Amino acid sequence: MKRHSIGVVLLAILSCNAVAAELALPEPSIFSFSGYGTLGLAHSSEHKADFVNNDLQARGAGRSRDWSAEVDSRIGAQVSAQFTPQTSAVVQVTSEQRYDGTYAPAVEWANIKYAVTPDFSVRAGRIVLPNFLVSDYRKVGFANVWVRPPVEVYSLVPLTNSDGIDISWRKRFGEVSNTVQLSYGTSSAKVPNGDMVSGEVSGKRGRGIFDTIEYGAATLHFSYFLSDLTIGSYKPLADGFRQFGAQGNAITDKYDPDNKPFSFIGVGGMYDPGKWFVAGEWGVIDTNSAFGKRAAWYASGGYRIDKFTPYVSYARASVKSNTSDPGLTVPPYYPLATQQQAAALNSKLNQVLSNAPVQETISLGVRWDLARNTALKLQYDRSNNGAGSPGTLNNVQSGFTPGGIFNVFSITVDFLF
Amino acid sequence: MSPLNRKTLCALSSALCFGAGNAMADVVLVVSPRSPLVALSSNQITDIFLGKTSRFPNGEHAVPVDLAEGSAERNEFYRKFADKTPAQIKAHWSKIIFTGRGQPPREAAHDNGVKKMVAVNPGYIGYIERSSVDEKVRVVEVQE
Repeated sequence: MKRHSIGVVLLAILSCNAVAAELALPEPSIFSFSGYGTLGLAHSSEHKADFVNNDLQARGAGRSRDWSAEVDSRIGAQVSAQFTPQTSAVVQVTSEQRYDGTYAPAVEWANIKYAVTPDFSVRAGRIVLPNFLVSDYRKVGFANVWVRPPVEVYSLVPLTNSDGIDISWRKRFGEVSNTVQLSYGTSSAKVPNGDMVSGEVSGKRGRGIFDTIEYGAATLHFSYFLSDLTIGSYKPLADGFRQFGAQGNAITDKYDPDNKPFSFIGVGGMYDPGKWFVAGEWGVIDTNSAFGKRAAWYASGGYRIDKFTPYVSYARASVKSNTSDPGLTVPPYYPLATQQQAAALNSKLNQVLSNAPVQETISLGVRWDLARNTALKLQYDRSNNGAGSPGTLNNVQSGFTPGGIFNVFSITVDFLF
Repeated sequence: MSPLNRKTLCALSSALCFGAGNAMADVVLVVSPRSPLVALSSNQITDIFLGKTSRFPNGEHAVPVDLAEGSAERNEFYRKFADKTPAQIKAHWSKIIFTGRGQPPREAAHDNGVKKMVAVNPGYIGYIERSSVDEKVRVVEVQE
């Protein structure tokens, strides 16, 4: 992490008095620059669908590429600035495969923080949405043991940031530290075309309360997050049903994710005393729409042998809402065109409903800290999809059989700079 | 081997010194003689150095000082108190840095730098090789 000398100069100009008070000490500069990245290759045995890291990616491994460098590769660069002991700012830009298949850089975070006390701070701008245990660093491969956080759980909420404010308050009780975070903001993301979930996903009026308890090597994390969810791609289907009067309106009102209350509840824990670690997370989302109510959890553990950390994980995703619906019933004396239109709408609706991931995965992997700031990881995932579900796979091609087994091999090099 | 000889060796061959230091480092925590701090537990030490708290148990502001990355004393310090390898410490800080929640402790290039910083600031805490301890700093006891 390089410290820029321009910061030293600025610091000298801005705060001569403060420097004088602690004479002869090299003060850290205002600006610090840091970066992270991952170079990865992933292979999936399922060739009629894409294995993706998250639903925001246009392409993955399997259908688009036999071995894909686009699933895990990314680069992030960050500038942090400490203007005064109370005021700091951070801007992080990442380049990774986006909804349109390009790598156009995107602003991951850009916020300014005011620490009223070292333990009480307010941030405004684009801020991490800390729904998960490793939300803060889910993109920083080097910070994680796995190739990627378990997709079953982390795909529940693929949005990583929110534009708004948050308040963080840390309080110590003896050796136990408790941090409460409150957040309010708006999130949005563009998702790929050519899938069920195409267009823009937005969460307005996002309200979250998050609690993190730390005691020695143990961390517990609780999340409760609400927002008003809109998934634009559903609109044609919603409008189609509305052409069928009261019956169609009822279906659209039930399933159209148009400003629907979205909720997420999550619990996660990690114990990492150094030589070994265990971690687990459980989460449930309710979209109050065709995208259903979904739950997922994982358990993972590993043991460190010098520079090697072999690990094993088990993850499971399930659906708590209906995955099919009879849809419109059109009397037989209606014109054929109307019959066909209704059947097409019903079929589309049922595609969306049955697209919900039901999947279990066993992962085996090893992290090798091969050089300073560099880790090499190998991971093997064996996933089993529930009957009728494509699991977390995307870009499903005709001829794909839901409910099957697929294997994923991944190799990544994670680095910091 | 006297400390003086080791330092000479260090200048001659940093690689050799690194190897030798790894096996020999006996690291102690130090504060300014003006600091009221007497003892800390292993948990309290790691909380301060890993950025989980910004205060000593008595409520005073705590500022940790690290030795440079790759130094034998630093590796031994984190092995002894946090049971973590240099890569794990790096991973820990990358978790915090990349949301802008904090920055790792300021660093000193060598024991003398740590002593210089700690000596005049009662809120600072560092670690050095036991043989480097002199009247400028006071050793903090570690409660098991």
